[in-house]
Amino acid sequence: MFNARITMPAEAKAGEIVEIRVLTRHPMDRGGQSDGKGGTVPRKILNRLTATYAGDQIFRFDMHTGVASNPFVSFTTRAVATGDIVFEWREDGGATYTRTSRLTVT
Amino acid sequence: MALLALPAAAQVKSGSEFLSPGMARQQADETRNPGFFWVEQGEGLFSARPPQGQACIVCHAEPRQSLRGAATRYPQVDAASGKLLNLEGRIEQCRVERQTQPAFGHESAELLAMTAYIASLSRGLPMDVATDGAAKPFYEAGKAFFERRQGQLNLSCQQCHDGLVGQKLRGDTISHGAGTGYPAYRLEWNSVGSLHRRLRACSLGVRATQFDFGSPEYLALELYLAGRAKDLPVETPAIRR
Repeated sequence: MFNARITMPAEAKAGEIVEIRVLTRHPMDRGGQSDGKGGTVPRKILNRLTATYAGDQIFRFDMHTGVASNPFVSFTTRAVATGDIVFEWREDGGATYTRTSRLTVT
Repeated sequence: MALLALPAAAQVKSGSEFLSPGMARQQADETRNPGFFWVEQGEGLFSARPPQGQACIVCHAEPRQSLRGAATRYPQVDAASGKLLNLEGRIEQCRVERQTQPAFGHESAELLAMTAYIASLSRGLPMDVATDGAAKPFYEAGKAFFERRQGQLNLSCQQCHDGLVGQKLRGDTISHGAGTGYPAYRLEWNSVGSLHRRLRACSLGVRATQFDFGSPEYLALELYLAGRAKDLPVETPAIRR
């Protein structure tokens, strides 16, 4: 069910500030409901989004149960070198999802 | 009795007209409207080959052209069975009869995604359902449903959605009840849902009988609402509160 839409310019001049928008499809189930068998449904949310660019972590977003389903976040970074920006989400239970988006610096 | 002073169904406006400016911008922005995830999923399902039978795209090649405008003509009467079908009903019919696959089921993520995808191919085109001929009895039934007082609160749809449009109900603004944005991403649901899911919420609100998804009552009402919304553009996937 996970999916992501990353919107950012494909090209930028060195030193330019680029805006990166990340929309994610995820139910962000905060858990705690009855599972109908005497137990409760465990929490299952994306608890962290990180973005790595040119060897550095440029953004980290720790998410908690107050974040709604299908979270949207936008942030900016400075274009320094041509390369992939790697987005990684960490889900409760240990699963991770990765997307990359290329930024060409002119 | 201001409640009963009903203006003739004046200019019916799209639900988007009642959104806050911020939500209207979010709806128009593909990078921020989560409904497009369902459209994307539907696009994938449309060309995915099921275990037996053929993918949708084998018959409906070039869906951007061949299915453009299809959603503006639903609900419509199925010539073979004489039943009223909405877009969900037509997709399920195609899936069961032609692809010989088990039906997706109402409100399943797959059916919502397919419906959202096919409706999104008609974005911006004016609604144009047939309300005469074979569709006339259904349209009349839908109109009667819209005008009939029902539920513990003894309200008809018309009393609010014609008579009190623009006024507040709880935190929201009462609209004309045009379903042109459905399946829509509703903030209350945190998800995309069908028009019938929305109608069930309305029925619950006036403490009336909630009919099933795809029930004849809601199908007729959907046809009446689509007839009222004639010439309004399709906006699927819209964002609604």
